[in-house]
Amino acid sequence: MTADSYAAAVGLVERSAAAYVSGIPDDPADDGLFGPASVTWRVSGDLARPVGGLRALMMQALHPLAMAGVDQHSDWRQDPVGRLAATSAYLATISFGERAAAERVAARVRRIHEYVTGVDTVTGRRYEASDPALLLWVHVALVESSLAAGQLFGTPLSAEDSDRYVAEMVVAAELVGVPRDLVPSSVGALGSYIASVRPELRCTPAARESMAYLLDPPGMEEDLAEIWADIRDGVLATLPDWARAMYGYDVPPLTPARQTEIRQALGVLDAVFLGEPGVLEARQRITLRMRAAQRA
Amino acid sequence: MSHSVRGGHTARDRTARMNHPVRGKRRLAGITIAAAAVAAVLTLIRRRRAQRSVSAAAALPNGRGPLRVRRGVAALRLAVRGGVRYASNAPRLFAAAGENRQQLRNDLALQTAEDVATTLGAMKGVLMKLGQMASYLDDGLAPSVRRTLSRLQDSVPPMSAKLAAGVVTEELGLPPERAFARWDPVPIAAASIGQVHRAMTHDGRAVAVKVQYPGIAESMAADLDNVALLRRMLRVTAPSQDVDALITELRDRILEELDYRREAENQRRMAAYYDGHPTIGVPGIVGELSTRRVVTSELSTGARFAELASWSQEERDLAAETIYRFVFRSLYEAHAFNGDPHPGNYLFHGGGRVTFLDFGLVKHFSDVELKPLISMVRNLCVDNDPEAFRRSMEEAGFLVPDAPLSTDVVVDHMAVFYQLVRKPEPLTITPDYASAVVRRFFDLRSPVSNYVAVPRSYVILQRINLGLFALLGELNATANWRTIAEEIWPFIRAPASTAIGEAEAPWLARRSAAIPGAAAAW
Repeated sequence: MTADSYAAAVGLVERSAAAYVSGIPDDPADDGLFGPASVTWRVSGDLARPVGGLRALMMQALHPLAMAGVDQHSDWRQDPVGRLAATSAYLATISFGERAAAERVAARVRRIHEYVTGVDTVTGRRYEASDPALLLWVHVALVESSLAAGQLFGTPLSAEDSDRYVAEMVVAAELVGVPRDLVPSSVGALGSYIASVRPELRCTPAARESMAYLLDPPGMEEDLAEIWADIRDGVLATLPDWARAMYGYDVPPLTPARQTEIRQALGVLDAVFLGEPGVLEARQRITLRMRAAQRA
Repeated sequence: MSHSVRGGHTARDRTARMNHPVRGKRRLAGITIAAAAVAAVLTLIRRRRAQRSVSAAAALPNGRGPLRVRRGVAALRLAVRGGVRYASNAPRLFAAAGENRQQLRNDLALQTAEDVATTLGAMKGVLMKLGQMASYLDDGLAPSVRRTLSRLQDSVPPMSAKLAAGVVTEELGLPPERAFARWDPVPIAAASIGQVHRAMTHDGRAVAVKVQYPGIAESMAADLDNVALLRRMLRVTAPSQDVDALITELRDRILEELDYRREAENQRRMAAYYDGHPTIGVPGIVGELSTRRVVTSELSTGARFAELASWSQEERDLAAETIYRFVFRSLYEAHAFNGDPHPGNYLFHGGGRVTFLDFGLVKHFSDVELKPLISMVRNLCVDNDPEAFRRSMEEAGFLVPDAPLSTDVVVDHMAVFYQLVRKPEPLTITPDYASAVVRRFFDLRSPVSNYVAVPRSYVILQRINLGLFALLGELNATANWRTIAEEIWPFIRAPASTAIGEAEAPWLARRSAAIPGAAAAW
């Protein structure tokens, strides 16, 4: 794979915003899988969300079979921004959509996964995307990354709320086909699970290459690229040491000043996001529902 | 009392939108814009626009310059994409919520200081303030930039009644229901970093109480203390010591505005100065109910600027005359300049009576700063001495010394700014004239533009000048501006030339009798 085969990262903000908005219902029939009183809704609106999302991708890519599935089946090189936007739309729908909508998008993902099978050229192992073990890793990487990002750059959750968040998110794993019993439901269980998977993890050439792309996407608009560099540093700062070492990134320790600066960059990005069509309205709808839930 | 009401901004935005149909390419500009705004607000001389690029060139405080804020510098530019929509000012929140908007807005209210931090922390408050500062320079900013910045402002809900009451309690030592005889928990207006409540004092005065968002000052100060991001935005455009000067200036201005005591003091002095004036009103400050985060002033009611459209031209002329007198009387006699020409900051009562609101941004001039301004107008308009005019410009730092330009060219370039007062005859300030002034200010094709600059201490003056012309242009106001100016010019002090002039004569006589010498009032 050469660098030329990657498309330029154009329109990231616009398309991610549109994807987000598409997941927030106007006049919902029900509160969906989590509901306005959930920790999940709070986490999904956190300033650190972009850092959490990118960190999740970096963690997920360290599983050679998960990475091979993406590498061999996804069209993301042709349309990386579209791929990211589709993931954003999926997450917004799962988090904020009505139950029926969440189940609908999850069913589509399950259908697609049925066709994603093959052999990883690095390990020589067969993989199937519908394998609960792979799905679980992807799930855990997301949940743990959201917590880690929020801790450093967003509004940190209390220990109790962190546990609640992990437990709430179990349903998201179930939705794509992981048996409930397998899914960690507390921060402690999350950690044990990650430790148990670590021996399988490695940074394959596909992982290294695609993450290098993601951390410094070519063709990104100049102004966005500037912000992206801050977010990248945020991602690297939140990665566990062992994961950073696998990628071979050597980063200096995060100073308080740099931490603030990254938060500011996230704030600017958030302001930009707010300027996109429908984003403010979507957020207000969410806030109103959360307020109503608080009052109740 | 600040009434930088959002409605006012919205009306302006709407006008801007009609004038500037949204461009196809909406790669616009957050950080550059804010960077441009910084440069513009603080040290603007003029602005360049290359195709698809917004840029500003600014004279530096020390007279070196010009510094260019290039499009593409900077991250802030991002804050402004998303221009195409705003089809509606009131967002459709829920499918069925049309009739219930006010309730929804209340439901969105900020409940806690944490809510404030989430909404306005992480640079968003600073961006908003930058946007507000930049909004005076209508012609210099792309409409989409202003839209996004105003969008940011729209995204800030009011405080809940409880949260606002909490601030009042902390500041005044009593809950609002006891600090005041009557307190309206529903805010009547939004200010940029606070909101305005109606109340009545125990001695029976109706007042407007501006209450600041809790934690906003600390959060913005923290963002302004950690300026790596801001510096990065500006660094490409200027040597680092100049960037530091810009940031320091920006920080000082914003921090100043975060302390309402300064605003209260400005307004108190203005109210004292104009006490007894027949047409100029400044609401008095209730000092014992004003603190760092709460400022209480007498409540004024009157027609808003937009309503003047339906008034007779005669009424509009009178209102314009009072605004004109206020601006230049304040400058030449009180040595103070209210730097906020926003249309929302005036209330109109008919017969030329105008109430002036919002003294959050007042520039005080020293004699040294004022002298060249007086010389310039005197040289050009009274003495008809172009060479002296040019020397005065150079002395003030408006013109690079020994610029390779003929004095005729310089005078010709500057004449538009003085056109109103060149001859003693009635002149109408048309919208066309007003925009010609603004255009000239931003005109970069003129050979003179390479040599003119506005030194930092006059930036605010320039800002209100442009704002004033725009305002009077909208009123289509006619008056003999020259004879009015002659009443005010300290080197002439001519007798009254209009009915308003005659009406203010007793006030003026009392002032001169009380305090000989202009600046003594301050």
